[in-house]
Amino acid sequence: MSWFMGIDIGSVYSKGVVTKDFQLVASHIIISGANYRTSAEAIRTELIKKGNLTEDDIANTIATGSGADNVYFASQKANDIVCTARGINNVFLQTRTVIDIASQSTRVIRLNEEGIVTNFTVSEKCAAGGGRFIEVIANVLRIDLSDFGPLAAKSSSPITFSTGCAVFGESEAITRVSEGVPKEDIAAGVNKALASKISSLVKKLKLEEPCAVCGGGALNIALVKTIESELNTDLLVPPQPQLITALGAAIIATTSATPESSEN
Amino acid sequence: MYFAGVDIGSTMTKVVLIDKSSNLLSTIKGPTGPEHRQLANEVMRQALEQASLQIDDISYIVATGYGRLNVPFADRQITELSCHAKGVSSLFPNVQTAIDIGGQDAKCMKIANGRLINFVMNDKCAAGTGRFLEVTAATLGIRLEAMGDISLKATKKIQISSLCTIFAQQEVVALLSRGEKLENILAGLHDALASRIAALARRLGIEPDLVLTGGVAKNIGMVRAIKESLGCEILVPEEPLLTGALGAAILAKGIYMKAVVTGEALPTKARRLEKATFFSQEHR
Repeated sequence: MSWFMGIDIGSVYSKGVVTKDFQLVASHIIISGANYRTSAEAIRTELIKKGNLTEDDIANTIATGSGADNVYFASQKANDIVCTARGINNVFLQTRTVIDIASQSTRVIRLNEEGIVTNFTVSEKCAAGGGRFIEVIANVLRIDLSDFGPLAAKSSSPITFSTGCAVFGESEAITRVSEGVPKEDIAAGVNKALASKISSLVKKLKLEEPCAVCGGGALNIALVKTIESELNTDLLVPPQPQLITALGAAIIATTSATPESSEN
Repeated sequence: MYFAGVDIGSTMTKVVLIDKSSNLLSTIKGPTGPEHRQLANEVMRQALEQASLQIDDISYIVATGYGRLNVPFADRQITELSCHAKGVSSLFPNVQTAIDIGGQDAKCMKIANGRLINFVMNDKCAAGTGRFLEVTAATLGIRLEAMGDISLKATKKIQISSLCTIFAQQEVVALLSRGEKLENILAGLHDALASRIAALARRLGIEPDLVLTGGVAKNIGMVRAIKESLGCEILVPEEPLLTGALGAAILAKGIYMKAVVTGEALPTKARRLEKATFFSQEHR
């Protein structure tokens, strides 16, 4: 009974982790799909299998993300900002600012020395401010999302998008493709546009170092590099950055189930 | 004496031919493709054919719209704002406010005595333009032209909470899977766009008569939704797509007539239509 589960149901991907003694034991990621409830169940089943566990081994489960309500087997729901903060704190103890680049939005969170959230901001309700912009353009370029970063990294002259809208950006990308502009320059242009939006979001909260980046967007190494040069700082990138929020949920599951005294 | 206005919009290309009394001789609409110059030639040829005229018969040609620089035979380029204001006030002499909603932008214009005096526009966010309806129509698998009619059958309006076209697209899919009725979703989509247009128009101040033009004005559901959002009567021309091209033709006439009166020399381009060869070999 010393394993803990965190499940993060996002708009596109659902992530789950199992931890023991604050260490990652197993993780699983699936597409959220149309039925969040079955996605949550599938993650639980898979996590238990991967960890060689039984359902009874899980002492506590916490759910987070926009679809957290669908994780009926969780004991509690936790706010995703708090989960991201806890997750990053578990990986990089000193983190003072964390940028979470998700599909639906980008969130910037400030933490104090104790890892407690002191402030946060979320990108406007606009697809051009989150990873969705990359998904849309990857579709235009007919490339896999995982190839987007490596492709963009090859570019020496990224294009400049004349629009701040993902829908108009899509048309613009199609036009550039038809003009024969290399794919890498278009991909790098998307990273540039997104990085500038994200950087202004960070500047709004004032950057305090060290700064970490997580969420699916952090898998795009070229994007991370572009944000680094915009902010003029080095970013900490955790392994499997898309799991950080689920990890935070598992940490909260641990601390909320264990008596305060044993936390030290 | 004949005059022509060519309006190359993001979605549609329009040509209007008029005579010296501003009577409409011919109007042509065609979808704007990637080859603006070819298309301009082609729609012009069709318009001339319809009016049984030759290109040499046209005294002056004005091009407008965002593709106006791609009309090789145009004598002058004039912004679509001026052309719309002129076209709308020729049809509705008492117009004071005009709203034009196209596939790529939305413009609100203040007009006094047939002249543009102020405007606001949105070309930054697809959610405030006709593109919002185009994208959601594609998601719902219905024809753009059918959207308005279906929306009028709504028994309730489902509020669309997303401000972004891409997120609205996703919200619509979720609403459908929840079993919401198509007409109720559509009514909500129309209201969402209308409220953004209304916010834009209010920045300028609304005075009657209010005229709605652009492709979106052909959507009866949008006319209803904007009317409710603004709480005032809305006039719609018979051919709401053509006001820009019509204004361009009327301005062409004005420029030419003024030159005749003052005796000034008016340079014109060669009256020659290139042969339209769409997607020619060299482009492949």
